[in-house]
Amino acid sequence: MSVSYYSLDWKLILSAVALTLIGVALIYSAQYYSSSEVIRGYYLKQMLWFAISSVVVVVVLYIPLKLFDAGAYLLYGIALVLLVAIFFVGSTRLGATRWFSLGPINLAPSDIAKLAMLLALARYFAYTRGNPVAPKNLIGALALTLIPMALVLKQPDLGTSLVFIALLIGIWFWAGLSIGYLALSLSPGISMIASANIVTWALFFVVLLALIFYLRPGLFYGSTAVLVNLACGVITPFIWNGLHNYQKLRILTFLDPGRDPRGAGYQIIQSRISIGSGGMTGKGFLQSTQSRLEFLPERHTDFIFSVLGEEFGFLGALIVLGLFLYLLYRMVRIALKCRSKFSSYLVFGAATIILFQVFVNIGMTIGVTPVTGLPLPFLSYGGTSLVFNWTLIALTISAGSSWQEY
Amino acid sequence: MSPRPMRKDSQGRLAYVAVTIVILILVGGISRLQIFRHVELLNQSEHNRIRVQPIVPKRGVIYDRHREILVDNRPSYSISLVRSELTKGKTIPSLSELIGFDTSLIRKRLLRNREPLYLPAVIKRDVGFDKVAILEEQYDKYPGITYELDRVRRYANDIRSESFTGYVGEVNDAETYSGLLRLRIGSLLGKQGIEKEYDRALRGQEGTRFLEISARGVVLGDLADRPADSGIAGADLVLSIDKVLQREASLMFDTFCCGAIVALDPANGEVLAMISEPSYDANIFSGAIPTDVWNKIISDPNKPLLNRPLDGTYPPASPFKLVTAGALLEEKIVNRNSTFSPCVGGWQYGRWFRCWKADGHGSVNIIGAIAQSCDVYFYQTGLKLGIDKLADYAKRCGFGIPTGIDLPHEKSGLVPTSESLNAMYPDGWTRALTLNLSIGQGELLVTPLQMAKFFTGIANVGANAGVVYTPHLLRQIEYPNGAVIIPPPSMSLRLPFSPSTLQVLREGMLDVVHAKHGTAKGLLTDEYRAGGKTGTAQNPHGENHSWYVGFAPFDDPKIVIAVIVENGGHGSTVAAPIAGKLIKFYLDRLKNLASQTEGSAHTRNAQLN
Repeated sequence: MSVSYYSLDWKLILSAVALTLIGVALIYSAQYYSSSEVIRGYYLKQMLWFAISSVVVVVVLYIPLKLFDAGAYLLYGIALVLLVAIFFVGSTRLGATRWFSLGPINLAPSDIAKLAMLLALARYFAYTRGNPVAPKNLIGALALTLIPMALVLKQPDLGTSLVFIALLIGIWFWAGLSIGYLALSLSPGISMIASANIVTWALFFVVLLALIFYLRPGLFYGSTAVLVNLACGVITPFIWNGLHNYQKLRILTFLDPGRDPRGAGYQIIQSRISIGSGGMTGKGFLQSTQSRLEFLPERHTDFIFSVLGEEFGFLGALIVLGLFLYLLYRMVRIALKCRSKFSSYLVFGAATIILFQVFVNIGMTIGVTPVTGLPLPFLSYGGTSLVFNWTLIALTISAGSSWQEY
Repeated sequence: MSPRPMRKDSQGRLAYVAVTIVILILVGGISRLQIFRHVELLNQSEHNRIRVQPIVPKRGVIYDRHREILVDNRPSYSISLVRSELTKGKTIPSLSELIGFDTSLIRKRLLRNREPLYLPAVIKRDVGFDKVAILEEQYDKYPGITYELDRVRRYANDIRSESFTGYVGEVNDAETYSGLLRLRIGSLLGKQGIEKEYDRALRGQEGTRFLEISARGVVLGDLADRPADSGIAGADLVLSIDKVLQREASLMFDTFCCGAIVALDPANGEVLAMISEPSYDANIFSGAIPTDVWNKIISDPNKPLLNRPLDGTYPPASPFKLVTAGALLEEKIVNRNSTFSPCVGGWQYGRWFRCWKADGHGSVNIIGAIAQSCDVYFYQTGLKLGIDKLADYAKRCGFGIPTGIDLPHEKSGLVPTSESLNAMYPDGWTRALTLNLSIGQGELLVTPLQMAKFFTGIANVGANAGVVYTPHLLRQIEYPNGAVIIPPPSMSLRLPFSPSTLQVLREGMLDVVHAKHGTAKGLLTDEYRAGGKTGTAQNPHGENHSWYVGFAPFDDPKIVIAVIVENGGHGSTVAAPIAGKLIKFYLDRLKNLASQTEGSAHTRNAQLN
């Protein structure tokens, strides 16, 4: 092992193990009343994936982080190839092409792409010279992110592309970009959304000008921000009005599948009822009487949190959120401790990805964020997702135990 | 100047704060549901069910050019079953009793439905109000059964419009994903014709209600925090069809079994009338089609489902001589006065090639050859032209390629070239084939629509001479929000003929109707000077097909018409009179319409004074 047994962050590992085991219990409960034996056995499959994840963790710990550093761009290239290849040989389900069918296993390259993106951005910022937040560095990182993001959007997979954006922002922040500048970087996106209403957009533009006045970012940043925002605000309504009704509907449904009331909208209603009916202490394990939950076809994957909320109530939810909070604190702590820039970016980026997915997934089950199909890290049923999240943990503890050298 | 990077320790502090805030936001959202709305949501969870009720919008109405209704809807009820609410051993038997469906048929329909359990699956469409009244009164006898107000498509049944309207039917499994939006099993979808081509606009967008249902099955009303979405009604279409002309045309096949009529406005390519005979009644597709009716349609040897104007391919016969004649003039193989060996009822080329007129036509120039349809003239000259030149001109006249009409499924027909003939006859073929092709017989295949389209180019005069517009049916789409889309006419091609060539072709066609020896002499009086061309397509399987293509008025064409009567025999005796009657009918109608508007304008002026 390239790291010593005693230097491992066992607190971090244990909190992730706790989350995974809670997930297995919830999957067991979610499909306890299913009429299909295969589906009832999902929790066993999840256990198996947990075992596979453990192997992956050990393997990652044996590989020196240097190798991940050196191979970052190679993996990035492989991920791009996979993302392109999927359009030619991928299988299409529910109108989206996201999977390679390898016999019984369906491999989604999205998770590989997330990992590759994380390593590539960490390497990129680890080796920038001079001021890491100089415009050319920020733009380079943006370009690095936009290519795989465009490919993922094309699938279409909004959730993963949002993870990319979140990751980029997290890494920018860790590179030292201040909150004000982060807001400035995000402003074109806000402009596009705000431009639906001219008054909203005008107000936003005033706020933007105030922000620029306060930051005094210099000619390049200032003028670029103003011009890009003007362009986004003016052009978006034009393009929008030029679209056919059904095209608009497609975009709206893509951005917010909750608008499709039959499927996702209904799931959200049921999910909210489930969680709300759990109350303070919940109905108890396996007690989600919930004939209603039968209407949540994704209850063991995307809506696993509804099962938690119903059976274990507010207290159960607090425990899980507490575990996530603790896990993320440990990760940030390690990111601060690392001397190697690469490791530090890597760990902080991993934390960003986990935090973002937790927020979007739980937000979805309580109806405050759109339905994007992002699973809840460690808890949702799904092999690739579990292995991916454990890989992030493995990389983190590897960085944490060898923080002094590399 | 670039921004200065933050110090690491302040970043760390900010990161801890950010993580905490995000988690606290979630805690806030969860506590709102689990603490503040707990009682209400627990109640919903224990007592009430949520039912998703689709609101089917009105499908758009289809009008003719004068806003007469071609297709509209009549109200009806559909009975659906919500699987998640059914009681085993009770719901299906009582439903079967109510609507007279076998329980196994109901189960079969449920199995086909791959929608989530909580969505109503349509079991029977177009149910009488008496059944709905029973459901309404005895709801506890029918757990899980719902009904929805639906509409059934109604096609005007006196005009035989199925060749372009098409029909609607329930979506099949392959169609359930159209774009990103999933269609509910049981939804109606355009399957053919205009209904399919403009389905997206006609269909509108389904709305949804979330109903709260008590444990006893009583509908309590809309769910509190989900207001009903009433959906968007479908857009209305205005077509270029003239319903009155369409009706008149549909009467023309009384004594004949099969054929097609296409009438176009040469000035813009609008389809004025389109008939496919025999036809079927599109109304039967709106509900579930009884099996025996369906079997009768598909086993009919006359193929009522074959849409002859677009999908029927026939040898073009003599009307194709206009393509040959144009090519001859353009290639300077003939001029308007050249004559060749006189026609003696046939011509010797390897074997004896007959002219349709056994007595022969004597010596004719190209105008006479068109007017009298002399085969011998085209045998001799076609041979000089050669097969590939001829094929090239035919393709540039729009044959062998789809016309581009706004209807799904269209045949391209066939224009043979030496290359395709080599493939077709690996043992070799003789140049004698060229003789047949130059009079439009043999391997050539065209659709009636292609034929009419080609002749719009010859009909057009002045600046439009030789111009062929893409045939189309749609005049405008009217969306419920007031938006109107008017597609402009689009030019499809320009005939590869010079003005002087077109002039000769037109003179020939004028003589067909008005000269002494014209093959359709006397079809129309001098009141309506017209151009035309008869044709008799050789049919190895039976009686020949009878063709006529014509346009009128000659100097300001308002209508181009192509008529084919399968197994009708000679063009001049069967198809030509039909075309003549319809042309006269339409031009009389235009005159009446014009005098009416003039009259009403006159009255208005009088009132003003």
